Amino acid sequence: MYNLHLSTEQLEIRDTIRDFVAREIKPVALKAERLEICDRRLPMRVIYQASQMGLRTLALSEDRGGAGADHLTCCIVTEELAAGDADIAAVLSTTSWLGHLLFDHAMNDAQRERFLPKFVGDDRFHLAFANYEAQTGTQLGVNYHRPAPADVALETSAIKAASGEWIINGVKDYVANAPIAALFAVVVKIPGQAVPKVLLVPADAPGITIRAHEKPWPHGCGGTVTFKDCQVPVGNLLGDNAAALLACVDVPGHGTPLFQALNLGIGRAAYEAALDFARLRVQGGRPLIEHQAIGTKLAEIAIRLEVARASIWQAAWASDHPEAIADGSLPDLPLQAVAQVFTSEMMVKATKDAAEIFGALGVMRDMPLQKYIHDARVCQHSGNGNTDAKLRLAEVIAGFRRPAHAPMVRASN
Amino acid sequence: MDFSLSNEQRSWQMLARKFADEEIRPISLERDAITSARETWTWDIIKKGSKLGFRTMAVPKKYGGQETDFVTQALVMTELAKADSAISKAFSQNWKWSHLISAACTDEQKERFLKPFVADDTFVLGKGITEPGAGSDNRMPPTDDPKPGLRLKAERHGDEWILNGEKAFIANAPVGKLFFVDARTDPTVPLKQGITMFLVPSDTPGFRIGKVFNKSGWRFYQNGEMIFENARVPHANVVGEVNGAVRKTGGAGGDTTGGDLFGDLELSANALGICDDACESALRYGKTARQGGRALFAQQQVQLKINRMYMMTEALRSFVLRVAWEHDRKIHSCNAGLAMNYSCDVVQEVTELYMDIRGADGGHMDPHTDKLVRDSFIWSHLAGDSVSRMKVTKRIID
Repeated sequence: MYNLHLSTEQLEIRDTIRDFVAREIKPVALKAERLEICDRRLPMRVIYQASQMGLRTLALSEDRGGAGADHLTCCIVTEELAAGDADIAAVLSTTSWLGHLLFDHAMNDAQRERFLPKFVGDDRFHLAFANYEAQTGTQLGVNYHRPAPADVALETSAIKAASGEWIINGVKDYVANAPIAALFAVVVKIPGQAVPKVLLVPADAPGITIRAHEKPWPHGCGGTVTFKDCQVPVGNLLGDNAAALLACVDVPGHGTPLFQALNLGIGRAAYEAALDFARLRVQGGRPLIEHQAIGTKLAEIAIRLEVARASIWQAAWASDHPEAIADGSLPDLPLQAVAQVFTSEMMVKATKDAAEIFGALGVMRDMPLQKYIHDARVCQHSGNGNTDAKLRLAEVIAGFRRPAHAPMVRASN
Repeated sequence: MDFSLSNEQRSWQMLARKFADEEIRPISLERDAITSARETWTWDIIKKGSKLGFRTMAVPKKYGGQETDFVTQALVMTELAKADSAISKAFSQNWKWSHLISAACTDEQKERFLKPFVADDTFVLGKGITEPGAGSDNRMPPTDDPKPGLRLKAERHGDEWILNGEKAFIANAPVGKLFFVDARTDPTVPLKQGITMFLVPSDTPGFRIGKVFNKSGWRFYQNGEMIFENARVPHANVVGEVNGAVRKTGGAGGDTTGGDLFGDLELSANALGICDDACESALRYGKTARQGGRALFAQQQVQLKINRMYMMTEALRSFVLRVAWEHDRKIHSCNAGLAMNYSCDVVQEVTELYMDIRGADGGHMDPHTDKLVRDSFIWSHLAGDSVSRMKVTKRIID
């Protein structure tokens, strides 16, 4: 049944997070050093506090020690966090979502037994998905509506040593959470196998080197992870479907629109700031909001936020209720991709309009507006970008099917 | 109709292109990346450009300048901005106010201020209008209420005026040697009837520079606070008449001197330079970057984006040069303002399309692309906000 009523629990958690954001995140997020795009440090203390509230393990099922939040609830929480600070939201959402995918779906019992207690018990235990390689794009590009090339272009390889361990060699770049992660899920090519596999690699495995990116452009924290004869036990290999399962973290499709919710939170932060300013600032003899030009702008921002939220919630709800797609209640389309394109384009417009209301203050680095614009641009260009999302949507509309896991083309040369 | 440039215009364009290629572009990204707003400026590039005439080219020959026409000025701003929009603006900001000196100052004032300006490669100009509480109110003041608008106060004491108050976001404030300053000389009447313009040298007693604003774009270009604490300015530094500043700068009703009129052309021509940079960079990237063994340009979606970038850029070029041509013929129209508003839309869409073509490979954005997009956002509050659009609309109606 079509129902937009949030449950009591969902409303409670939303209000709790909103309060946490107002009390703990905003005061930190609005400090000048957090607003400097090129030189911002992660507020680890706040991330630790958030973990103690259960946000690091939000999506992990309850019987495994998490909060067992459904897709919609996760999106609501991420939006609230991002309305406070996009970096904090990115770090927590990445760990929470990977925690759910890895521990609830991808790991076998033996793997869970080894890693779950540490994950649940340590508020500093974060997760990372190491997929991207500088030479291996996953963009459709020239292969739009054409079969994927036969060779898998992954460079990072794992071979089984005589001792029985996996030996990994290669470099993964732009790994979100890399500098703070305790456990990595690493996509590798195993010689002789067509489908990429995923290995669990602890941050202290022999042969792994993690280098944090300085002056990162994207949200959260990222880094380069180098594997040089890195050894992990044979039991660290995830099942055959793991690469496809985790691929949705990088490429929006039918997955959970968590990063679209993050994007929405950024737009909302800009909107709320602009609304406050427009009420207080008097020019032309009356508050800005009483001028048609500014009122219209705020209305346009509000429209973009509401329609974006509707598309995000629809995609999240569809993930929670796959039967709604099966019975034709919802279209069998990559609804996350739909939300991604619409939200990211609209939030760039929304943050720019919000900043414009501030006049010159909108471009100042000690004010948050320029950071909201930056944050919205990051969402617009994250992963493979919207052009790729549209091409993938077009393939679905055309009825062209391709396996989800296959890296498409080499990005350059 | 004849779109050809004169030999003189062409040679200025070539000189600017060479200077931009050889001197500006090599330092553009490093200046942009400097974190401290106070340190992005370097006198070296200003001195080099000044020796070639790029600081003084709007000054009449009579006072030692180059007295170039508006078409030449538009061409040069575009060429310089193609290498770095903020550095182009750092030069052209001087033209804006030397236009004003030429048009509004007395011969005695020109003698005192234009000559040292021309002689000194590190002499740059600024003008203080905006205040913390008055931005839009200065640009579009209510006609019936004396309260809104700038508050900086000037009171006459014999042959001197005593200035008290503060200006914010003032271009070139931290580096300038001479400023035009608008001050309230009659607080009982609406803004347009009660402000006077003063020439304020940077070494005026009681005048100092406060904070340097840290902007997300136009990093090289300096904007600062001006603080006046019983600053003493001689009466001989009043520009035009007491309470007559608006008549000199045009106000909302249209320009009479060249200061405001040039400013509209300036933003349009500068935006065009950014667009040229983005278009050429996109084309180069489309030809050299490869995907799946083929040049990126082979893809329809890339061709369509590049098409739109060039289409909008060339339309802007036509508009910019038409406005410059009209200025040279003293044809009064609202085209300068319209071109300025349009340049905001074009420069933002063109640079965003370029960013789209580049994409964030993995999570890394090319710093040059990021800079073009950040620089282009400056236009929102200078050239494309609703007040500037409505101001231009008033010119259409009036």
